[in-house]
Formats: sequence, C-alpha cells, structure tokens
Amino acid sequence: MHFSTLRSPGTPIGLLVLNRNGIAWGLIAIALLAITSQPAQAIPAFARKYGLPCSACHEAWPKLNNFGQVFKDNGYQLENDRDSPIFQNNAYFPITIRMTPQWHLEHNQRQQVDGPLGTSIEQNITTSGFDLSGIDIWTAGTLYKNISFQVLPSADSTGAFHFESAWVRFDNLFGSSWLNLKFGKHELDTPISEKRFLFLTANGGFFQLYHFTPVGGPGLSSLNQFGGIGDNQLGVELMGHSKNSYTRYAVSVLSSNSGNVGLPTNQSYDLYLNGSQAFEAGRLGLQRVGAFAYVGRSPTYFLTDGGAAIPGTGRGDRSFYRVGAYGIWYLGKFDFSTLYMHGLDNAFLATNTPANTPLPLGSRSPTWNGGFIETHFTVNPQFVLVNRYEAIRVSRQAFTVLPGTTTTVPSDFGDIDAFSVGYRWYPIMFSRAGLAWHQEYSYVRSRKTSLVNNLDQGNSSLLMGFDFDF
Amino acid sequence: MRTKYISMTALTLVAGASLVALAGQPPRPASGSISGKITYTGTPPKMKAIDMSKEPSCVKQHPTPVTTENVVTGKNNSIQYAVIYISSGDQGSTAPTKALKFDQKGCQYIPHVLAMQVGQAFQIINDDPTSHNIHPLAKVNPEWNKSQPPGTPPLNAQYPKAEFIPVKCNVHPWMHGYFIVLNTSHYAVSDDDGEFSIKDLPPGKYTVTAWHEQFGTQSQDVTVAGADAKGTNFVFKAVPY
Amino acid sequence: MRGTRWNRWAGVGLAAAVLLCAGAASAQESHVGKYSGNAKAGKINYRRYCIGCHGPAGDGNGENAPWIDPKPRDFTAAVFKCRSTPTGTLPTDQDLYDAVTRGFDTTNMPPWMPLTVVDRVNLVAYIKTFSPKWKSDKAGAPVEIPAESPVTIESVLHGRELFQKMECWKCHGPEGHGDGPSAATLTDSKDRPIPPYNFSTGTRFKCGNTNRELYRIFMTGLDGTPMPSFADVIKPADAWDLVHFLRTLQPLVTPEATVWKAWVTTHGNELKPIGPEQAPGVGQ
Repeated sequence: MHFSTLRSPGTPIGLLVLNRNGIAWGLIAIALLAITSQPAQAIPAFARKYGLPCSACHEAWPKLNNFGQVFKDNGYQLENDRDSPIFQNNAYFPITIRMTPQWHLEHNQRQQVDGPLGTSIEQNITTSGFDLSGIDIWTAGTLYKNISFQVLPSADSTGAFHFESAWVRFDNLFGSSWLNLKFGKHELDTPISEKRFLFLTANGGFFQLYHFTPVGGPGLSSLNQFGGIGDNQLGVELMGHSKNSYTRYAVSVLSSNSGNVGLPTNQSYDLYLNGSQAFEAGRLGLQRVGAFAYVGRSPTYFLTDGGAAIPGTGRGDRSFYRVGAYGIWYLGKFDFSTLYMHGLDNAFLATNTPANTPLPLGSRSPTWNGGFIETHFTVNPQFVLVNRYEAIRVSRQAFTVLPGTTTTVPSDFGDIDAFSVGYRWYPIMFSRAGLAWHQEYSYVRSRKTSLVNNLDQGNSSLLMGFDFDF
Repeated sequence: MRTKYISMTALTLVAGASLVALAGQPPRPASGSISGKITYTGTPPKMKAIDMSKEPSCVKQHPTPVTTENVVTGKNNSIQYAVIYISSGDQGSTAPTKALKFDQKGCQYIPHVLAMQVGQAFQIINDDPTSHNIHPLAKVNPEWNKSQPPGTPPLNAQYPKAEFIPVKCNVHPWMHGYFIVLNTSHYAVSDDDGEFSIKDLPPGKYTVTAWHEQFGTQSQDVTVAGADAKGTNFVFKAVPY
Repeated sequence: MRGTRWNRWAGVGLAAAVLLCAGAASAQESHVGKYSGNAKAGKINYRRYCIGCHGPAGDGNGENAPWIDPKPRDFTAAVFKCRSTPTGTLPTDQDLYDAVTRGFDTTNMPPWMPLTVVDRVNLVAYIKTFSPKWKSDKAGAPVEIPAESPVTIESVLHGRELFQKMECWKCHGPEGHGDGPSAATLTDSKDRPIPPYNFSTGTRFKCGNTNRELYRIFMTGLDGTPMPSFADVIKPADAWDLVHFLRTLQPLVTPEATVWKAWVTTHGNELKPIGPEQAPGVGQ
C-alpha cells in the first residue's frame, strides 16, 4: 500500500543506501500508511441498492457480520434473482465515498533530532490538531448476474491518488459457490480484515503483524519487497464457500511486487492461502477457526543502467513466508478475534545483502512470532467498544553481533507491543448512508529501536472524529 | 383444535354468565319485531356497467349488461343491501339453524350482501361454467382464498368472530360482495323496496344499527313492547361520489 | 337446575381463560426442531436486520418500504404466503423459519440462511408478537403430501388438462408467461397490484424450489395474494400431475421438461391449445 509509495518503480531498491535513516523512513512509512490508508470498506451503495440498513451486513460498520460475509463471498449478491444491474434504476450508480475529518494527537518518543555542534540527540515529539483522513471513492457491485467488480481509487489526505483495488470476479462458476475467480488488485482473504476493522489512528489503524518485516539490526533495513498480507495485492484469487460461508477457502496467486503497478520488481509469483471453518455454539453465536499462509520470493538486486536500477529486472530472489492460525469467538454481544502468526525472511533479505555477494558472517534468517487479541463489545448496532492487544517477538535475530562491530544485537530488538482502545457510536442507523463518531487511543512500543541510544520507543495516538460514508 | 375449543368455551362463558344473571326471571316472550325502511336523500352515485368480456360464459348469462352493486336503489329512494341489526340490548341469541347460501352466478354474488351470525354455517355455490376463487378479505377472522371450479360441491364455511368482510374473486375483479358476521341473530338485510323486519324480539330497549357499504352506519334506540315497532326508518345522505 | 349447569360451564370457561393466558406466554416462543426461540432475543436481531423494511411496529412500513416492490410483509395481519398449512390458518414456526431462511426470490427479502439457527428461531418468535392471532389461534395442521408419482408423459398431459380445467391460465397465461386475461387486474389483500408468477423466467418460486414446495404452493394457496388454495378441488394424486406439467413451463433442465420435449416433437400437433374453451363446431 503506502509503504510502497516510498519506493517508486525507478528507485534502485537493491542499491538503496540503508542506514539509520532507513529505520526512520520505516517509521514514517508506517505512520503514513496508517494516516493515508482507508482501512474501512463499508458500502452504502449496497445499502441503497438493496434497502438494508448498515447493521444487516455489518456488526458495526465496517466490520462484517456473517450475513455481510456471505454477501461479499457471493460477489456482492443477495442471490434473490435481483442482483444483476438490469433490475436497478438506470440512474443508480454504486458509488461510495468515505472520509474522516478528525482531531488527533501524535506523541512519538525518542525521535532523532539535530543537537548542538552537529550531533544527533533524541527527543520526544508531540503534535496535535485538526486534520483529514484520506478519501476512498469506491465503486463496486455487479456487472451482470454472477459477474462482480470493484474499483477503489483512494487518495491520501493530500489528494494523491492510487488504485487501492480494482478487480473483476466471476462468481459461482459452474453454478457452484465453491468456485469464484477474482482477477486484479484485491485485498487478500485475510483472517480478520484490516480493511474492515474498527481502528483509525496512526499507531492503531493497522495490524502490526500484517505488515511486519524484521530489520537486520540497528540501522539495517530489510530488502523484502513484500509489504505484508494487509496490503492489497495484484493477482488472481480462487475462493469458495459453503452457502452460508461457514466453510471458506481462498487461494491467491500474486505477482511478487506487493501490489505495485508497472511491474517494478521481477517476474516471480507468490502464493497466499486461507481456509476456515465456522460452527454454531447455541446462544453464544458463530465461532470460526482457520489457518493461512503466504509464501513468496523477493529480489535482492537489480540490473542497472548507469548505476540506476532497471525496473522489472530484479534478480537473486530469496524467499520468505508468513503462516498462522486464528479464531473468531462470539459470546453473545462480546466477540474476540485471536490470531497467531509465525514469519521468516531469508537472511539475504533481512541483512540487505544482494544474493550475488556473500552473506555477512554470522547472519541468519530471522524468524518471529506474534499474535493479537481483539475484543468487541457490540452494545447494540449503534454502539461498539473495541480494544486490541498485539505482540511481536523476534525469535531469531538476523545478527547476534553487528558485522564489523562489537555491538551485540539484543534478543528483543524490534519486538513490538501494541495496544488500542476506543469506541464507535453511530448516531444514525440507516439504509442509505453511515455516520460514526469515533474515538480511539493507541500505543505502540518497539524495543531498542531508537536511533541514537538504542532505547525503547513508545508512540501513541489519540483520535476523535466523524467517520462518514455515503 | 385446542384453540377452537378454548375460544368456544370462552364464548360460552360470556353467554353463560348473562344467562345466569337472567336465571331468576321468567323468560320473556319473543314476539316483538322491528321493521322499517331504508332510504336516502341527495344524489346516489351512478352504478357503472360491468365489462365481463374477459369471461364470455358470464356475458352470455346477462341479456342486459349488469352494473356494480355497491349502491342499489329502488323506487321512492329506497336502498337495498343495507344490513340492520341489534347492536345493543340483545338478550342472547339462539343458535341459528338456517344454512345460508352464497351463490356465484353470472359472475355476480347472490346475494350481494350476506348477513350471518357468528358461527352460523353457510354454503358457497358456484353455478357458473367457469372457475371462481372466493377470497373474503377478513382481518379479524382468518383470511382464506379458495378456488371453486365449475361443477365442484358447495364450500361450507363459518366465521368465529364478528366482522364486516369484503369478498372478492381475483379472477373476475368486478365481483364484489360482503359477508356481514354479527354477534346477534336479530338482523335483516333491506330488500329491493328498502324494507326490513327484525323478528322474534322479546320486549325491551334496543339499539338498532343500519350499515351500508357506501354510506356508513346509523343507529337509533327502539323500545319493543310486545307488538311490532314499525316505522324504524333510516335515511342515509347520499353523495354522488 | 339450569343455573348449576351453566355454573359448571362457567368453571370450564374459567379454566379455559387460564389456558388462554398460558397460550399468551407461549406465543413469545417458537419451536423449530430441537430449537426454542424467544422473542426478547429475537427483537435485538429484528432491529438489526429487519427493521429497515418491516418497520419497528412490524407493519411493513419501514423506511425502505416506499421504494420496495413487492412490499414488505405486514406482520400485524398474521397472513403469510408460504405455509405448509391450509388456507386461512396460521403457518407453523417451521414455515416461518423456512421463509426467513429461504428469502423470497425476486423480492427485496434475501435469504437469511447466514444467520445462526438460534438467531433465526428467535426472529420467528419475535415476528409472532406482532399479531394477537398468535395467542388466540393455533397453527393449522400441515397439508399432507403423498410420495411423488413417477414423471411420465401421461402425468404431464393430465397435469396440462388440470391447468386448463382449473383455469390456472386465467392468471398465469396459456403458456405460463403470467399474462392470462385476469393477470393485469390482480391485487393483493391490501389492494396493491401483484403479478402472477411468470414460469418462463425460470426463477425460483417465492415459496421454494422443489417439486414438493410447488405442490404445496397451489394446495395451500398463497394467503394475502390472489393465488387460491386448490386443496378442495384437486386430489393429491392429480396434484403431482399438475406439478409435473408446471415444470415443463419453465426454461429449466428437469426430468419433466425432458419427457415433455421428447413427446412434443412427435405429438405436438395433437395438442389443443390452452385457453378459453372452443365452442363445439369451432375448429382449430
């Protein structure tokens, strides 16, 4: 997503000079990602088409309930023989905008700033004020019975647009809900959708786990092109589901350029898999368990022309993977989303080493484990309390000792703890548009990552604003 | 079945309680009657000719075209098909034994208005060479809708609750009638001269109500003292729309 | 003497009144298979899923109702299209549950099958609180459906005769296109225009899609619509023949259509067209 905007297709990624600034860029990138990404996809255009209130498809928009999940899995169809656009008023165009005017406060701990006499020092930076989110201008629906589409031009808060997603999907192939083929840039069938969750702040508005790539050591970034399973990717998806979506699977074959257009990296492909099974537990509600995996390769250097990398000529592919399991548990009005993930990046990627040069001594492929538990208390369809705790623990650092130095890489270097709490209040519950008052506090602590003193950094966000879509 | 039993016993309870209260008195002779005439003032709407061309078998049965029947008037401003009934003061009614008939003939309902008592059995007959569906649009009573092709036996029906029920045939949209289900057995429907007579009434004070499908209802208090309370007339104000 | 007898009946009546109250309590519940639903839990989900069309009072006057055709069901009338029970009777809880689950094809009512069984059973319980009829009346006894007779050309042809004789064509049209002579004038029980089913669209029936459900549709009638019950006039065995013929009117690949097409290619000219009876002597 916006991670990638830092590396335009022409940027010589393999030759990118990585230093302490790399991490700073990384952090800014994460901040940008959160501010500009529109995690939410709630589509009043569908409410207008079918005359259902938001609450029919969304537990609390944009979070889907199982009815909304089935609607989505059917290719935005209710399957009442009225899904084809021929049944709509000619003037109907399925378009939705979403934006969040807001006030927010950002507090970033131990930031590197210029000190006296050309030194660098660390200082906490706090800023606050009124601001805008980015905007989603979303159109989606059916082109015909069993052919659906989505186009989502999305802008950051400055108005710079990109295509967040654009795809066509052939639904119910051979009359079977088990075969649906999607073609284009799409959200991966993630265990718990980051596009539909209930957090908006710079620190809390994304799953750390869905975007995490380990850094080799203080001042070393990763070469991994892959932005994370939270990013929309380019490729094809074959997915299927039982009629009530209790059983679901999805397989995506993706160009390994992390959703960036213009074939910027190379010709290899990645694979994403997800499968889950839900079961009813009486009055408690629907419980779901599942597992997912992403297996990919990323180039470590590029052919160059006059020193500049030639887009699409990525070489020296090295592999990485993310695997995990998850559960979504309902206890009446309470529900918990739980996820565990294990990840590995090849040593060449993690240590920023082109594959045609030897690995630094003592370098290894870093691995990490992480998980989150997210809780929602849906008081009623118009009021929901949310909270999330997320942790990432690096289980094997790329280096024990930084090459050429005696600096020991601490075993908890880069570990992350993230916490968010908030609520959303929907003063109207309507079948034409949505409005929510959103308030959230998020805190993220990353271990030993401060650039000057290698100390822990704690960043926090406070946000309140009106989240609306029409 | 259980519910039917319950509601019938509940009705019995009400009837029983009033009879218990009366038990001390000697039964009064039910020899009185109330009679009168239903007329209108003003201009009643003109009834429209019915186009039955979509049902040739019914067209054949009518040498002259028939008209709608929501306001049927006679000589001297008389009104037919008004229902006159005791709405208050009725001292309990004996179970009606007469089975009523509701005929479908020439794609018309005969009679146009059928009055009956709660629980009174009636028969619906199809005398046409075409199918009818009988669709009484009940709200308090169950709403049913039954097909009756030509040559099929009469449909037996009864209604458990008092209600004024419009009746229609969906196949022949011009067919329109009424089932008037009353709590009393003392009722009459005005004839083609607008006249009516409610018989077998014990002496007493009564409220008599006249209902007409287009002109609404009117009530008056009448005392029956052994003989006939003649001249209980109702005059409806007719408007041409 | 007479008084004591009536007193005894009054006692029975009192007991009945107590039973009635018990009935009122049970009307807050629903029973589908081994599941019991309760109206209080159902109300929460009604307000989440149903209120936009059926309205807070259950009268079908939700905020979307003006834009919807056909209109949402008015639960306060307690008149339901899709029942297993005879015309004029209340449907069973199972019938309501099936209707919620199945949705109504070609209308705004989607299939609510994605909801858990418990949620749907609770919704049924809540829907039953909108009319006092659920307290005073009991659901009808489901119409019995005998085992389906074999699909033969004789069965289809006999069904075709019934289609003529029962005058199905008056509304549904001689070819089942929903264009019979009475089709344009049809109104539902609220005087709103309503079209008869057009078999040539091949869409699912509003009350289901199996042959059994098709059998049930014309034997129970769709209450609140012009579709009457034929239970008194079509014998169960004959009803299957009508089912088999009706299937041939749909552009679907069915055993009935296969049998029919094979026969028509060789015997098509023997068929008398469906429609008004020809007067004797008027040739075809």
